[in-house]
Amino acid sequence: MSEPTLWESLSEHLVLARRLRGLEISLDPEACKGTWQCYEVCPVGCWTPDRVHRVVVLHDIDQCIACGACVLQCPEEAIELS
Amino acid sequence: MATVFMKWLETEPADYDRGIQVLTLGRLRRVHQAIAERYAQSESRILEIGCGTGSLAAMMARKGAHVIGVDASQAMLDQAKRRIEGEQLGDRVEFVQIDASLIGERFDPGSFDLIVSTLVFSELPPDEQEFVLQACAGLLAPGGTILLADEFVPAGWFQRLWYTLIRLPLVFVTWILTRTTTAALSHPDDLFGRTGFRPERLLTFLGGSLALYRLFPTDAAAGEGVLPATAVGRLSHKSNLRTWLADLWALFFRIIPPYPKVRPGLYAIGSPDRASPVLVTGNFDLTVRRLVQAIDGAVDAWILVADSAGINVWCAAGGGYFTAEKVIAAVKSSHLDQVVDHHALVLPQLCANGVDGWRIRREIGWGVHWGPAKAVDIPVYLANHRKKTDAMRWVRFPAKDRMEMVTVTLGFYALLILVPVAIFWRGLFWPIAISLLGLSYFYGLVMPWLPGRDGLAKSVPLTVIALTGLLVYTRLFDPMAAPHMFNWAVGLTGLSVFSAAELQGMSPRMRGEQANWGWEAMIAAGLGLIYWLGPLALGWR
Repeated sequence: MSEPTLWESLSEHLVLARRLRGLEISLDPEACKGTWQCYEVCPVGCWTPDRVHRVVVLHDIDQCIACGACVLQCPEEAIELS
Repeated sequence: MATVFMKWLETEPADYDRGIQVLTLGRLRRVHQAIAERYAQSESRILEIGCGTGSLAAMMARKGAHVIGVDASQAMLDQAKRRIEGEQLGDRVEFVQIDASLIGERFDPGSFDLIVSTLVFSELPPDEQEFVLQACAGLLAPGGTILLADEFVPAGWFQRLWYTLIRLPLVFVTWILTRTTTAALSHPDDLFGRTGFRPERLLTFLGGSLALYRLFPTDAAAGEGVLPATAVGRLSHKSNLRTWLADLWALFFRIIPPYPKVRPGLYAIGSPDRASPVLVTGNFDLTVRRLVQAIDGAVDAWILVADSAGINVWCAAGGGYFTAEKVIAAVKSSHLDQVVDHHALVLPQLCANGVDGWRIRREIGWGVHWGPAKAVDIPVYLANHRKKTDAMRWVRFPAKDRMEMVTVTLGFYALLILVPVAIFWRGLFWPIAISLLGLSYFYGLVMPWLPGRDGLAKSVPLTVIALTGLLVYTRLFDPMAAPHMFNWAVGLTGLSVFSAAELQGMSPRMRGEQANWGWEAMIAAGLGLIYWLGPLALGWR
C-alpha cells in the first residue's frame, strides 16, 4: 500500500470511527487455551491470566479501547469485537 | 574555537606559539601541561604527530621521555630544532619532516608507548583522519595509548548552535587569509570506534569545543566495526540543528503528510553481534529517532526498520499500513538469518493491532516477542530476558504527553481555523486564538478528571466550565452588553466542543479515533443557527 493522501487518511478516520464506536469485546472461554497473547499485547489491561486454569479472564471490559490487538493475536480466535 | 585561525598562524612559525595560546585563551598550554605531567613517563617512547614548534615535545622531553616529533612543515621544524637546542634536550628529541599519513611506513610497528597529537586531526580530511588513526594502532606497543586533543563540535544542540554562530565568521576570515580552514571533529566516538579505539574524555574546555581524549586500542573493534553487507547503516542518537527542526515540525505538524521517513532496512545500534536482539520498528522518522534516543548507549542491538508508510507503528498497524507482510519482507530482504544466529524478533507491543504475529511465526519461522509499549523500557525489558511488567504493557497518557498532543492537534487545526479568521475576520483573531489555545491546553490538563468516556462527552463539562468562566469574568471585571455576551457564549461553546472532540483522535485511551466529525458538524450547524436566529428572536437585530 502506498502512502495515503491527506483526503484518504481523513476519510479513513471517519470510516474507522463509525465502525469502532459501537464495538464490544467478548471472549469465548471454552476456546481459550491460555497462550495469553491477549494479555501480552493489551495496552489498557483488560485481561488477567489465570495461571491455575491456564485460561484468561476478561476482567475489565470498560477499559477496552477496541484497538483489536487481542483479536488478531489470539491463536484460537476466541476473542471477538462486534 | 578560534583555532580556525591556526591555518593563518602556521604561515608564521615565529609567532605561532604566542598566537595559538591567545586563540585558545591559554587552554592549549593547560592541555600540554596535563599531557606532559601525567603521561610523559621517564624513558617512555613518544611519537608526536604535528609537533609544530616543539613546545609539547620539549615539555615531555624534560620529563625524561624520548620524543620523535613529526610535522609536514619544515619551517615549523626549524623553529622546533632551535628550541630543543636552546634547552639542550637534543639527545632526547628527534624531528622528522613527513606528512601524518606516512607515519605507518616511516616507523616500525609497536615502537611507541604513547602517541600524542594536538590540533592536527581537525586539519585532516575525514578519510585521512581514519587512516592516520589506524596507522597509529599499528605503531603502539602493547599497553600503549593515544592522547588526542583537538577542536570538537559540542554535543548539545544549544551549544552547537552557539558554536556555529561564533565560528562561522572566523572560518570566513581565515579562509580569506589562507584560502583554507580547519574542520572541527564531530561525532568523535564514531570515528574512534570505527578505527578500533575506546575513547575516554579526560578534559574539556571552551564549552566542549576543545577536548583531550585518551584512546585505548581494542582488539574486537577492528572486526566489529564492519557491518554485514545487507545492513543499511548505523544509528546513533544525534541532536543537532536538523533534528531540532525536525522535532519542531513534528511538534506542530506531524499529522500532515508527507511524513518524514527513514529508509527501511537493517541498522546497527552500538556494536551488535550474532547474538544481539533484533528490534523491529516502523519507518516514521520521529519513531526511529525516539527509539534510538531511548536505547543508544544502553544496548547493542539490530534495528529492523520495516516500511510503515512513514506512520508511527500504532496508527500504521491500525490503518493497515504496517502488517506481518511488511515485517516478513524486511526480514527477508535484509538476510537477517545470515546476520544473527537466533530467530527471535522483538516487535513493538503497540503494532499488535495490525501485525499478525502468528503469520510471521508460521511463514518464516521467526519467533515474535511483544516488546514494551514504550521504547524507554526496552533496555530493562532486554536485561530481564524479555520479561514485561504490567507497567511496560499499559499505555498511560500523562500530562506531558497530553500537552504534546494538544500542540500536535492545534498545529493542524489552528491553521485550519485561525488562518481564515486572520484573513476574513481580523478583529476576531486574538479573542478566538486565545480562547482556542486556552481551552485546548486547559482541556489537556484536566481531561482525566472530566466526566465522560470520550471526547464528545467530555466536551459537555468543558463547555460548562467555559461558560461559567465567561459569566464570572463579565460579573467581576468587564460587564458587557447582552448581545456581546451572547456571541461570546456561542463562540466558547463551539470552541469547547471542538477542542475536546478533536483531542480524542490523539488520545491513546479513548476508542474510535476522530469519531466525532459528524457530531461536530451537526453541533456547529446548530450553533450557527442559534447565532443567527437567537438575536432575531430576542429582538436585538
